[in-house]
Amino acid sequence: MVDFLQQVINGLAQGGIYSLIAIGWTTVFGIVGIINWTHGEIYMLGAYAGWLITTYAHLPIIPSLLLSMVLGAFIAMAVDEIGYRPLRKKGVLAATGFITALGLSQTIRYSASAGFSPNPKAYPVLVNQELITLVSIGDKKITISSVHLIVLFSAVVIMSLLELFMKKTLTGKAMLAASQDMQTLRLMGVNAESLIKITFAISGALGAAAGFFIGMLYYINPMMGALAGLKGWSCAILGGIGSIAGSLVGGIILGIVENLTAGYISTGYKDAIGFMVMILVLLIRPSGLMGYRFEEKV
Amino acid sequence: MESKKKASAHKTDWFFGLNGTATFFVSLVLILVVCYINNTIKNAVPTYFQHVIVNCLLNAVLALGLNFISGYLGQTSLGHAVFFGIGAYTTACLLKYTGLNFWVSIPVGMIAAALAAVPLALSSLRVKGQFLIVITYAFCEIFRYICINTPALGGNGGLAGIQSPLVFGTKITKIAATNKGGYMILLFLMVSAVSYFTWRVERSRTGYAFHAIREDEIAARAMGINIKYFKVLAMMISATICAMAGSVQAAFATMVSPELFSSAKSIQILTFVVIGGRMSIKGVILGAALLTILPEFLHSIKDMFSMSFDPWTILYGILLVVMMRVRPQGFWGKKDVEAEEEEA
Repeated sequence: MVDFLQQVINGLAQGGIYSLIAIGWTTVFGIVGIINWTHGEIYMLGAYAGWLITTYAHLPIIPSLLLSMVLGAFIAMAVDEIGYRPLRKKGVLAATGFITALGLSQTIRYSASAGFSPNPKAYPVLVNQELITLVSIGDKKITISSVHLIVLFSAVVIMSLLELFMKKTLTGKAMLAASQDMQTLRLMGVNAESLIKITFAISGALGAAAGFFIGMLYYINPMMGALAGLKGWSCAILGGIGSIAGSLVGGIILGIVENLTAGYISTGYKDAIGFMVMILVLLIRPSGLMGYRFEEKV
Repeated sequence: MESKKKASAHKTDWFFGLNGTATFFVSLVLILVVCYINNTIKNAVPTYFQHVIVNCLLNAVLALGLNFISGYLGQTSLGHAVFFGIGAYTTACLLKYTGLNFWVSIPVGMIAAALAAVPLALSSLRVKGQFLIVITYAFCEIFRYICINTPALGGNGGLAGIQSPLVFGTKITKIAATNKGGYMILLFLMVSAVSYFTWRVERSRTGYAFHAIREDEIAARAMGINIKYFKVLAMMISATICAMAGSVQAAFATMVSPELFSSAKSIQILTFVVIGGRMSIKGVILGAALLTILPEFLHSIKDMFSMSFDPWTILYGILLVVMMRVRPQGFWGKKDVEAEEEEA
């Protein structure tokens, strides 16, 4: 029982990171209507931005996190400007957007691999690693690492801020409306282009934040975007497309399930479990745990 | 080398006034001449080039296989490496554990792939568009993890030491002077057979049904086309063709590894079809040839300038992006895609 709980706790931080990636996917999907295949790459670049900032500029954790989020936002906007906007203008995004995204993500991934070298990199120590005891049962203790705790806490804070932004500001409300019906929103006099840019910026910032957090936990490498991106997408589907709370729940569930799989079944199947969950959810309940029933986008 | 490939492609589109049969014989003679020269004059055709030709033909079979799904049925699949891998692994396991004949293992692999295609086809009835793409991707990844984690399938290292198949008692590798000649002929016949089959399907009742489903599924249903049947059929045809290529790959490389299931392979197969041109038999064969030769060419550039990275991997993505912007129907594709978009 104690071991089980310990595994659950160990999965939380990873789950928080998945949630951040998941939200990045779903915001863009809701508004632009395509799976932004480059999102995993933005996450990877965010991790590298954080690595550059913390290693060479020696900034403390919060400024470097914010700075890499800003960089991530700019990268995502650049991706939109270079990749998707011309297609959107021609009106062929639905048919050609996916292949374009695939191409862009390949280019970004291997450019990063050429630029940063494929060898894994580690962040400098930003927070002192210590085990905090949560409960002790008999002589066994359930602990959480301080780094995990900070990652989880920051992820939840970022998501709450986003939720506030969506609910309270006019831009946020416009984004929600856009995910329902872009056409009508245009008729209401909303500048669709700038709204899309803001969406990409938010998505990029969240992706970069996820990358920064993963850098605090593990080694980073230029190839990590593909798998993490897909897992983020599975969380988004599990939680329900378009729901921030759903993404949080989906991410945490996946993080925990992965850890339990590694602990009780086999470490080899740890990465596969997310895909199985995703296929099952898509086939059984496409709207996910907390999502609204979405219209077919393609 | 080039002329051989071109000729085999023209077979289906009847270029230069040649009809299908004539093009087939011209290219067959060409390939036999290559093998003959190779046998009489030592090193007339470097082994490296022969290797590239075999890969071109192998990829052409895969591209023709995916063409059924991504071309005629209009679904993007990012998991076709799964059928390729299943074919390869079936052959490898049968040859290694039961000592079965290679030629028997090909149909067994095809059946295995066809069975694996059924769940994927059924999910395409429920889930559409981009969600289907992630399902195919995830499906392939799951198979990769199964192969990595099953000791009987060789785990991470895969299975090695697969014996080369026999043709009338002679090893296929001994037919020509270098060990590639036999595979060249075998794969050429395979590409021809699959092209012919595709060409026949294209103009059959089944082909028209695929076309109707691609254009408008609801309308097709209203016309009385059994969507479920045709979707499963297309996926099965596609899977068996890819499995065939997988079996040959296993024998050719004398080993199989979980890398066969990698997403990179799936993406590669998809780009053959997209770059070459959906629904064009000539297009997908030439697309496969182009995207096999081009990376090899760029590898040599990498060696020439002793670069630390492979320029192809970066250019590849840029090529896709530019292609989608300039010519979304592919190099040899029909103008179909654009026309559809304008109507929409």
